[in-house]
Amino acid sequence: MSTLVEPASQASPGPAKAGPGARWLAGPGVRYLLMLPPALMVIGFVVYPMVQTVIHSFYRLDGLGRVIGFAGFGNYSALFANPVFMQVLRNTAIYTVFAVVLSIALAFALALLLTNRGIVNRLLLVGIFSPTVMPTIAAANIWLYFLAPQFGLVTELLGKVGISQANILGEPGSALGALVALFVWKYAPYFTLFLMAGLQSIPQNVREAMRTEDPHGWQSLRKVVLPIMAPMLAFVVTLAVIYAMETIDPIYVMTQGGPANGTNLVMFYLYQLGFNYYAWGPAAALSALLLGGLSSLSALSLIALERRAFHWA
Amino acid sequence: MGVTWRAWRRGLEGGVLAAVALIWGFPTLWVLYATFAGTGHTSGFTLGNLAGALQTAPFGEYTVNTIIIVGTLLLTQGIVGLIVGFILARYDFPGKSIVTAIFLLQIVVPVYAVLIQDYQIVQGLHLLNTRLGIMLPYAVSGIAVVAFRQAFRAVPRELEEAARLDGYDMLGVFRRVYLPRVGPAAIAFAVISVTFHWTDFLWPLIVTNSDAARPVVVGLALLAEASESGLQWNLLAAGTAIVIIPVLIVFVVGTRRILAAFTSTFDWR
Repeated sequence: MSTLVEPASQASPGPAKAGPGARWLAGPGVRYLLMLPPALMVIGFVVYPMVQTVIHSFYRLDGLGRVIGFAGFGNYSALFANPVFMQVLRNTAIYTVFAVVLSIALAFALALLLTNRGIVNRLLLVGIFSPTVMPTIAAANIWLYFLAPQFGLVTELLGKVGISQANILGEPGSALGALVALFVWKYAPYFTLFLMAGLQSIPQNVREAMRTEDPHGWQSLRKVVLPIMAPMLAFVVTLAVIYAMETIDPIYVMTQGGPANGTNLVMFYLYQLGFNYYAWGPAAALSALLLGGLSSLSALSLIALERRAFHWA
Repeated sequence: MGVTWRAWRRGLEGGVLAAVALIWGFPTLWVLYATFAGTGHTSGFTLGNLAGALQTAPFGEYTVNTIIIVGTLLLTQGIVGLIVGFILARYDFPGKSIVTAIFLLQIVVPVYAVLIQDYQIVQGLHLLNTRLGIMLPYAVSGIAVVAFRQAFRAVPRELEEAARLDGYDMLGVFRRVYLPRVGPAAIAFAVISVTFHWTDFLWPLIVTNSDAARPVVVGLALLAEASESGLQWNLLAAGTAIVIIPVLIVFVVGTRRILAAFTSTFDWR
């Protein structure tokens, strides 16, 4: 009402809507005050632990994680001297390469198919994206049942095609393969979401032109779609690498790192070092390495998008 | 000829999508089937497995814990994201790049890499085995800050100036001009936050050692561990159903809106 009565040019400090409290809220000091607690939370639970992790990796730590002396690079050399850790690194590398390549390839194909189709049946969408909303722990339980020897569904199916007595989780190679399959099943739809968002940025008229002039789509895929999608693809690939390297939930439920450490990946090994063996020194060293590796990867993924979205300062 | 090729191809694509949907959706279908379909003497629909799962483990308590954790985090992350995102989008001030860097660091540094230190901090605060202890490291979400900042930036300045001419102060402008325009960003952030914390496992696992604060995913993992020593699979399926049904309902009801919000929020042109 008051907007109608009062002319906009009036110099008096605003109509009744602007109470004194509200004007106080707009001051620059208040803005700092509002940002301080959240910033302190991040400093307390991210920045300080980061620094502390790196510092601790150079000290000898007792069973409770307390500093008992300087170690130099002792924790790191202890870590790399352990043959189990070398195997863990090898496992993680193999798992990550297969999981990333397969899930991204599938996600890209799915994104193209779904975008081409326009409106898609809701039942199809729910089916395809149901793994995204399912906790990995729950999925791992179900897969464990499917893969169980003797009565598991997959085991029975394999029996029908002549592979009898398959114990997929009982052999290091096939167990790692099962973990890769679980990753692809769980994350390919999630990556599809990002890639679909990327495909939206191809202008409508370009899409129309592609459809009429290049019905098979291979030319336009290579010359139009891939270049436009490159930043989003880079983002999703780094995301996939990070997720693959952070895999621990299915290992905890399905294999506990076995058989013979064949599915022991780097995050599960870190968990074992700390919370099973209380080897906090080597655990700090491994944390510091993961911190460097994973953080630079996620920074890279943000930079991949930066040119299109992020204005840092 | 072109037309038949296109029709043929469209059919093929539909077939591929249907096959993928079937395979990808099959585990969910199986859980629901194993939970609600009676076997042997009780055929047809049954709630017996659910009741059995609730008897075997305190899933009610677990679920309450999860809902409190997920809800509180969604609220605090959302409010902090709105406030900080708005300030970063709308104002210039000394030290802005440092503040931005701090919140970006929260996105970039994976929780797993600072897990042990965070554990020791929570231990030092005597918050092990509490819901607060589980929530504390996650209270601020950089993704929320960035998502809302992007959404606020997309609001045309003319709208704000028009509202100012109408006599609204900053808070009024925020409420009437900016807030109504961040819906898709809010949905996308909410989906990311809820799915992450609903499914988060390792951190709650190490922070809890009793049922008092344990979220449902941790309870499920422990049930699975126990099941290897002879628990019935249909009880495990029922436990799994308890975990996935709530999220599944939300997703089935809001499928298109959720997918569209996701697409528009990450469509950073």
